[in-house]
Amino acid sequence: MIDKITLEKTLPQVFAGMENDQPVCLSQVWLQDVEFARPDYYMVEAESGTGKSSLCSYIYGSRGDYSGRILFDGHDVSEFSINRWCEIRQRALAYLPQEMQLFPELTVMENIEIKNRLTGCKSRKWILDALERLEIAVKADVPAAKLSVGQQQRVAIVRALCQPFDFILIDEPVSHLDQRNNTIVANLIREEAEANSASVIATSVGNKINIPITHTLKL
Amino acid sequence: MKRSIVWQLLRRNISVGQLAGYAVANLLGLAIVLTAIQFYRDVTTVWESEDSFISRDYLIISKRVEGISLGGSDHEFSQAEVADIESQPWVRKLGRFTAAEFNVSAGLEIWGRGMSTALFLEAIPDEFFDVKPAGWSWEPDSVSGHLPVLPIIMSKDYLTLYNFGFAASRGYPQVSEATIGMIPVRVSISGNGRQMSLMGRIVGFSSRLNTFAVPAEFLSWANERFADPTPDGTLSQPSRLILEVNKPGDPAIQAYLEDHGYESAGDKADSGRASYFLSIVTGVVIAVGVVISLLAFFILLLSIYLLLQKNREKLRSLMMLGYTPGSVARHYYAIVAVINGCVLAGAIVFMLVGRHLWHAQLAEIGVKGSAPWVAILIGFCIMALITAGNILAIRRNVRRTFPHPRR
Repeated sequence: MIDKITLEKTLPQVFAGMENDQPVCLSQVWLQDVEFARPDYYMVEAESGTGKSSLCSYIYGSRGDYSGRILFDGHDVSEFSINRWCEIRQRALAYLPQEMQLFPELTVMENIEIKNRLTGCKSRKWILDALERLEIAVKADVPAAKLSVGQQQRVAIVRALCQPFDFILIDEPVSHLDQRNNTIVANLIREEAEANSASVIATSVGNKINIPITHTLKL
Repeated sequence: MKRSIVWQLLRRNISVGQLAGYAVANLLGLAIVLTAIQFYRDVTTVWESEDSFISRDYLIISKRVEGISLGGSDHEFSQAEVADIESQPWVRKLGRFTAAEFNVSAGLEIWGRGMSTALFLEAIPDEFFDVKPAGWSWEPDSVSGHLPVLPIIMSKDYLTLYNFGFAASRGYPQVSEATIGMIPVRVSISGNGRQMSLMGRIVGFSSRLNTFAVPAEFLSWANERFADPTPDGTLSQPSRLILEVNKPGDPAIQAYLEDHGYESAGDKADSGRASYFLSIVTGVVIAVGVVISLLAFFILLLSIYLLLQKNREKLRSLMMLGYTPGSVARHYYAIVAVINGCVLAGAIVFMLVGRHLWHAQLAEIGVKGSAPWVAILIGFCIMALITAGNILAIRRNVRRTFPHPRR
C-alpha cells in the first residue's frame, strides 16, 4: 500500500549542469519537492525532450539515472529489494508505458492474461467487457503485432488495469486515440481508480486524457 | 496456463542446434568419465583378493642377499633402518616379520606314508591380515599348560611344488587344499636345551606369501622358551618387513628400495606398478572426459547467455509487469535440468553398456568387477555441480536484467 509518492530535488542525470537552463529552471517537477497523494488526479504536462517518460520510469523504479530522491511513504525507492519492487508492481503501482511494451507475438488476450494471471485480479468476463467497451473485443485472438497503434494502446490500458493499485502511472495514454475513445478510456481508468481509491498520474504533450484533474504540473 | 504463456513467449529464441550440440558434447565427456571410473573400479578388483598380502597396498621387503650369507645381523633391519622406512611419506603402516629362533620340524601322514621336514615359521602382526581364518589365535591353557592346536597359513606355492613336483615324481598322492586342511601336522620344536612337540593344522593358503605363518602369540611364547640366547644378549631384529603403502608402484618406493639395497618380495611391486600405471591411464582418460565436460558446460552457458541476450527485452518487459526474476528464470532452469537429466541418463546407459561388454571378458579371467553404483553416484554429483553452475549463471544474468533504480 502506497499513500504518498514524494520527489525530493529529483533531476535526470542528463540534465546535470543545466540547473539554470530551460527546461529545468522552469520545471515544477525537476529539482523541486513534489508530492503525489491518494486519491488525487495529477496531470504532468510536458514538451518533447523534457524527461516525461523518464519521470514515469523513475517513479516505476525501472531506471535510476537521476539525482535527488524518490520516496514511497517516506522510504527511498532506490533501496527497495527486487522482491519489494515485484510486489509493488503487482499490487500497488500500475503503469502504462508510452511504448506500451506489448508482446507482438502474443494475442490480445494473451497479452492481457500474462499480467492478469500473475495478479489474479480480474475475471475473464471483466476483460472481455473492457475490450468490448474499448471496441477491440473482436481482436481478442489477434496477435498484437497486427493491431494499429491506437488498438495496441487500448490493449495496454486494459492490461495495466488488471491489478490492484494505489497509483496508476499513464504515460500519454490517449496519444493515438480520438476524442470518443479518449472518453471511453478515461471513464474506464476513472472507474478503476475510484474502485481502488487510487491516484492517477497522467502525462501529456498535447492530447490529454479526459479525467477530472486535481493538480497540473509543468515538467 | 500462466506458465504456458510465459513459456510460449520465451521459448521462441531457443536454438535447438546449440542445445543439441551441448548435449552431445556433455554426453561424450560424462560418458568417458563414468566409463573410465567404472573400468578402473572393475579392473582393480583383481588386486583386491581376500589375502591381504597380495593386496596392491602391501609390500614385503627384505635386504638383498649378496653371495653367500651365513646369517647374522647383516640381513636384519636395524631399529634406525626401520624408523627411516617408517618415516617415508609413502608408508602408511609397517609391520615386522617375527621369525622362529629355534629349530622346527613338521611331520604328517598322507595315506599311510609319513613325511617329515625341517621347517621355518614366521609371524606378522594381526592387523596386516584382511581376513583371518577361523581360530587364528593361539593361547596355551594357563592352568593345565595344555597346548592348543597350532594354526598355520602356508604358501600355496609349496602345495603346488609338492603336488606337481615332489608327489608326481615320487608316486605320492596329490592333495587338495581342503584335504590338507584336515590332516593334522606334528610340529616338533627344539632349542635352548629344550624340546617339545605339538599338533598343528593348515588353516589357510596364501598364494604369494612364501612362508609358513603362525599366530604372533605362538612365536613370542615359543621364542621365549626355545630361542638360543644371543652372545651379547640382544634381541634379534626382523629380516623382513611388511609395508602398507599409499600409492603402490610409486616410483619413489622403487628408488628408495634400490638406494638402500632392499628388494620387494614376489610380484607385489609389479602388480603395484601395473596398478599405478592403470591409475595414471585412468586419470588421463578421466581428465580428457572432464575437459570435454567442462567445455560442454561452457557451451551450454554460452547458449543460455545468448538465449537470455536475445530475450533480454522480453525478460525485462515481464519483470516490468511484476514477474520476479525467479519466476522467469525457472523456465531456463527447466531447460537446463531436462537437458542435463537426459545427458546423465545417456552417460549412465553408455557406461552400463560398456561395462556389460567388458564384463564378459573380465569374467573369463576370473574378475568379477564391481557394482556400478559408485560411478552412477559420481555421475549424479558431476551433473549436480554442472546444473548448479548453470542455474547460478542464469540466476545472476536474469537478476541483472531486472528493472531497478539501483544506482
